[in-house]
Amino acid sequence: MDFLVTLINGLSSGGTYAIIALGYTMVYGIAKMLNFAHGDIIMVGGYAMYVTLMAMGHPVIAVCAAAVFCMILGIVIEKVAYKPLRGASPLAVLITAIGVSFLLQSLAQIIFGSSPKMPLKLQISGAVTIGAMRIDYSTILTLAVTVIIMVALSVFVKYSKTGRAMVAVSEDRDAALLMGINTNRIITITFAIGSVLAAVAGYLMLCKAPSLSNTLGSMPGIKAFTAAVIGGIGSIPGAMVGGLLLGVVECISYSIPALAPFTDAVEFSILIIVLLVKPSGILGKMRREKV
Amino acid sequence: MKKVMTKILLLCLSLIMVAGCFVACGEDDAEGANEIVIGLSGPLTGDAAVYGVAVRNAAQMAVDEINAAGGLNGINFKLIATDDQHDASKVATNYASMVDKGMQVSLGCVTSNPCLEFAALSKDDNIFFLTPSASANDVVLEDNAYQMCFADGNQGSVAADYVNGLGLEKIGIFYKSDDPYSQGIYEQFKAGLSTSIATVEAVFTDANTTDFTTQIETLKECSFIFMPIYYTPASLFMTQAKGKVADNATYYGCDGFDGIESAEGFDIAAIPQKISMLSHFNSKATEGKAGEFITKYNEKYGKETLNQFGASAYDCVYAIYGAMKAAIEDGETITAETSASDICEILKKQFNGGYSYSGNTGDNIKWQSNGYVDKTAIAYVIKDVNA
Amino acid sequence: MSKKTVGLGRFQLKYHLNYIIIAVAAIVFAVMSLTGNIKHSDTVLLEKIAIAIMLATSLGMVVGFLGELSLGHAGFMCVGAYLGGKTAALLEPVLGNGILTLLIAVVVGGLAAAVFGMIIGLPALRLRGDYLAIVTLAFGEIMRSMVMNVPSTLFGGTLGLQTPRYDKKYLFIIAFAFVLIALAVIQNLLRSKHGRAITSIRDNEIAARASGINVTKYKLVVFTISSLFAGIAGVLYSYTQSRVQSANFDYNYSIEILVMVVLGGIGSINGSIIAATLVTYLNVKLQTILTGDLAVLQNLFYAIILIIIVIYNNAPALKHFREKYNFKALTARLLKKRSAKAEPAAPETDGKEEA
Repeated sequence: MDFLVTLINGLSSGGTYAIIALGYTMVYGIAKMLNFAHGDIIMVGGYAMYVTLMAMGHPVIAVCAAAVFCMILGIVIEKVAYKPLRGASPLAVLITAIGVSFLLQSLAQIIFGSSPKMPLKLQISGAVTIGAMRIDYSTILTLAVTVIIMVALSVFVKYSKTGRAMVAVSEDRDAALLMGINTNRIITITFAIGSVLAAVAGYLMLCKAPSLSNTLGSMPGIKAFTAAVIGGIGSIPGAMVGGLLLGVVECISYSIPALAPFTDAVEFSILIIVLLVKPSGILGKMRREKV
Repeated sequence: MKKVMTKILLLCLSLIMVAGCFVACGEDDAEGANEIVIGLSGPLTGDAAVYGVAVRNAAQMAVDEINAAGGLNGINFKLIATDDQHDASKVATNYASMVDKGMQVSLGCVTSNPCLEFAALSKDDNIFFLTPSASANDVVLEDNAYQMCFADGNQGSVAADYVNGLGLEKIGIFYKSDDPYSQGIYEQFKAGLSTSIATVEAVFTDANTTDFTTQIETLKECSFIFMPIYYTPASLFMTQAKGKVADNATYYGCDGFDGIESAEGFDIAAIPQKISMLSHFNSKATEGKAGEFITKYNEKYGKETLNQFGASAYDCVYAIYGAMKAAIEDGETITAETSASDICEILKKQFNGGYSYSGNTGDNIKWQSNGYVDKTAIAYVIKDVNA
Repeated sequence: MSKKTVGLGRFQLKYHLNYIIIAVAAIVFAVMSLTGNIKHSDTVLLEKIAIAIMLATSLGMVVGFLGELSLGHAGFMCVGAYLGGKTAALLEPVLGNGILTLLIAVVVGGLAAAVFGMIIGLPALRLRGDYLAIVTLAFGEIMRSMVMNVPSTLFGGTLGLQTPRYDKKYLFIIAFAFVLIALAVIQNLLRSKHGRAITSIRDNEIAARASGINVTKYKLVVFTISSLFAGIAGVLYSYTQSRVQSANFDYNYSIEILVMVVLGGIGSINGSIIAATLVTYLNVKLQTILTGDLAVLQNLFYAIILIIIVIYNNAPALKHFREKYNFKALTARLLKKRSAKAEPAAPETDGKEEA
């Protein structure tokens, strides 16, 4: 029974990783860049929630405001920092993303100070009891949100015009351009969606653990990036699978005392093992290279 | 040929420029000012900034007060606070730049890992330091190093003695495996704990400092949980453990718990369990020296950053000031020109010679010659079980 | 070594200029140090610069010439620092804290890192691009987590491994000597026919394979040599510290090294050297100038400078502007005006891409 609880908790923290990983994967698939600042958008979303909570006082308003704010921020960052570099070396874009990450972190510290904030109003406490198991509401919420986002995103990508344009751009940007797709618009939309997802992930993190500091998003960001690669970067279901796998492994590792201090090593080893067996990730597509 | 010549010229030019910078940067030494320079290196930014900022603020406050009251017989103190981001590899740079700026005495580093580096460097130049909060036992290995806080190992043994006396059968331990403070206390605690007490352990690391679902799951059966961690993760653990850990359980911490009731946003009254700690400072104090300090600090910097680190730093500055005063009374001379090494010898003589200081973090504080502090740890019940 | 080539004329001089400049700079500072005219903080800065140059040039080999992205360079440095540092700590009671101990430690630490580099090079044969990047990142994090959590008698646990330090007056001179060795090995390898084979893998792996280049061998060689020098840099680092602490080798450090390589210009050794020097200098100066309340501005300045330089150096839209205001054009004007005021950071890295 304990194991089952650990498993469910793992799925729940994996759900958060999955939502962050979706942001990484979509941006990677379409803009072909590792957006290292993605984790910090989560942090900005957290602070946006905190500020609206102070002003308005209701968690739902706060989450909506944070989502809108993150969306605008994502678009602004894309326009100011990444767009001028379109067509330049991918490494240059990577470094700018790192620059943006530093920038957001230090701005957050300058504005909000160094001590962590605890937006307790965002916390969802309480649990349901099924037999001998107690499952937190926040865990259930995370799982539900993860599934909804996953389904919604899949439907969006498969059936909407914009979604199909996204697939086209990720397959071949030049060909998509020739077919009359406004690639710049698609990239902007991708960043907007990714940033909204980051805000949602920020809320899911804070509803479990209401602690907000300027490094809130860095480690989850890296872990989610790992999850995206485990699942196959560029693949939406892959991000989901990778995130859940990583979350479960993490929770199991923490629940075994001898292994607990080595949890980080265990998680990253999973990545290496998966990639050695399947170099493109669990659900990633193997692209054949042409000369 | 011309192209090559231009290049050589350019490179020489840039070399000269770099060399120029080296020279130019050397001219900002404080000269002629009638000041004793106190150096401090701490995490003013980054993950541990909350501790570094508190230390820096409180130390600055003490320095300002001393100067406003006329300084050390007319000599002012000056605090240089550099940022190490809790990263030991940045300490050498900070240390050297402070030496260049005329550091004569120091508060060392705020956190243990960087302070170990600081200790090695300051030994070379024989610079006295009294660290407010770097609590690893090894920090004070050298004779120029003193602590204002309790050393980790000692805290662990004292806590083990206390727990052995409670007659419990099983306890939970929650600690941070990659933090020397937490790990250090944990090791000594385990060593001192009676073998008849069973333990359930849960750890967290730097990579996971907010979501404690799994750890709480492990510890939920325990009615007594020892948590040698800082108050930020502790308050988060308690918030998340509501309704899971038995309502009449006890959370027992060390001095890292200080400040937990004023952690921003943390609603301590909503935590049903009992919270107690073994510490040297009570940030709830309203009277005495600690109460006075808290009022002054809150006025100046707001209560957001107040914690025992700051209280301890404030004491450090005053302890150094007091020791200098005592030394002058003993016939030593300390002026703004006295070298760091001479000041070190003078202060060592005072600290090893029974000098005592009373402040926020204890009365009649004395130091052992190996650098450890001698003061009483007081068991505070921060809050009792909710009725 | 340089004297002979200088005599041979302009062509040779061009290819050996970087050794000469580093050697001359090292000798100038060494003389300053030995005569006591250098400040303590400057020797610390010089050590940092020497280590940064080694790390940047060795990573530049992988990123700029082999064309693989590595985010775990600090992990190799970690291996070198811990194993080299442990060796030095064990030898110190026997051989004393002298140059011999240091050399043995360098050999052990370097070789250990090289072995790990070869192991990490193996997946590189199967993985490409960003997949490899995340594997190297994972490697770095695994190393960091392992050395910290193994029993503390072995590697010191959370407090770090105690290692001997070397006299500050001499350490940076030794470090610069190793920089010259690293430079000689890397530069000569890359300028040989093997180097051309390596760059051909970067440009098109399939075409390279088709023309009979042993891709496997070259990838492993590059990874091994690159991590060898990262390991040596790690050992030197362990000598600058009283304790080696695993927290220093996190992915942020790997990224900082990558920043140097990218700022210096992909595929430019001289660029890496200049960028390593300037980035280290900038960081140290920001750290020492912005103290107290201003400390919070460090990362802000660093971030803004980073973003502006990268966009300025790489944005396709700024190409004409760059051509007009690059290092050469700027200095030509400066020479005319004979004014000594210049902004070296941005343009300097731009003008040095031919190495």
